[in-house]
Amino acid sequence: MDYALIVATALGAIALYLLLPRGRSNLVKLGALTGVLALGLAITWVIHLSTTVHAGQGAVVANIFFYAFAVLALASATGVVCHPRPLYAALYFVLMTLAVSGLFIMLMAEFIAVVLIIIYAGAILVTYVFVIMLASQGGEAATAQYDTHSADGFMAILVSFVLLGTVLQVMFYTGPNGFMHPLAAGQAAVHGMGSLELLGANLYSRYALPLELAGILLTISLVGAVMIARKNEPTAHILGTGDLPAE
Amino acid sequence: MIGQADDFLSGENVMQTFGNPMLYHYLALGAALFALGLVGFMVRRNMIMIFLSTEIMFQGIAINLIAFSRYWQNSDGQSFVIFVLTVAAAEASLALGLVVMLFRRRQTLNVDAWSDMQG
Repeated sequence: MDYALIVATALGAIALYLLLPRGRSNLVKLGALTGVLALGLAITWVIHLSTTVHAGQGAVVANIFFYAFAVLALASATGVVCHPRPLYAALYFVLMTLAVSGLFIMLMAEFIAVVLIIIYAGAILVTYVFVIMLASQGGEAATAQYDTHSADGFMAILVSFVLLGTVLQVMFYTGPNGFMHPLAAGQAAVHGMGSLELLGANLYSRYALPLELAGILLTISLVGAVMIARKNEPTAHILGTGDLPAE
Repeated sequence: MIGQADDFLSGENVMQTFGNPMLYHYLALGAALFALGLVGFMVRRNMIMIFLSTEIMFQGIAINLIAFSRYWQNSDGQSFVIFVLTVAAAEASLALGLVVMLFRRRQTLNVDAWSDMQG
């Protein structure tokens, strides 16, 4: 059973390699099947670990909601990475944001969950969608060749999943003092945890200076984005008295 | 009656009914999301998709921070996530402005179009 996690990581890497957009779709089903296998193996192993190895540490029967949101987040993140059309990838990213904010609610961070939806799904993703539509070439060739054919991701997937496997191995095999503790060890102490009041008090007392710096950073990036995206062309051709500037 | 309904709807009751996920559940999920975003960052050739992949990595890190915030029962991790969101918003606006500018120069979003930038 000790090798199940490595096998699951390797299966996930193979699935991602098969799912990468290459302009032909006959590998997608095989990749999806491999991905389902990898996720199923990983979840089975984690449930096995939660229910047998750490059965003495209270109620550790795995939470159904956690697995639902985790599978949704991982599947939609794979959709972002692998979908050949950028607009659909952005919509998958919205789905992933919703799943992650569901996880945040389970972690008693309700304010952060709402903020995540407002900022990511509401603001950042709208910006992305606008830029995707601004920068798409339009016409029949809706999907460009650089979207339907990704780079050959063998080395990228190898590096990323070796890193992931290493992290998971260290996380799950560091003995009793590792990360195996129950998450809700002291539930009596969570009075007001996740409330806006507690978070605001923390932000405005302990992190007051970083909060001000964050405001300055936002202002700077606002001005910078306007300056960068400004049309830096002579106004003659807009007025109809000149040609387009040669680039 | 109302008190009972409040108790039933509270988070702890749901946790006890379905069992408690532990810290490593969330850390493993955050690591997996980070790895997926890393693959997307290195593999995709569309500049917009590259920056969208960095947002996946941001969310993996945010899951880690929130899980540790829950684990230590304080708000520090949640404060860090506020700052992560700030940086993500600033990065998205600046990066997308750059993408629009680069698209105007070469009329393509392909990063390989800019492979002559060396040194």
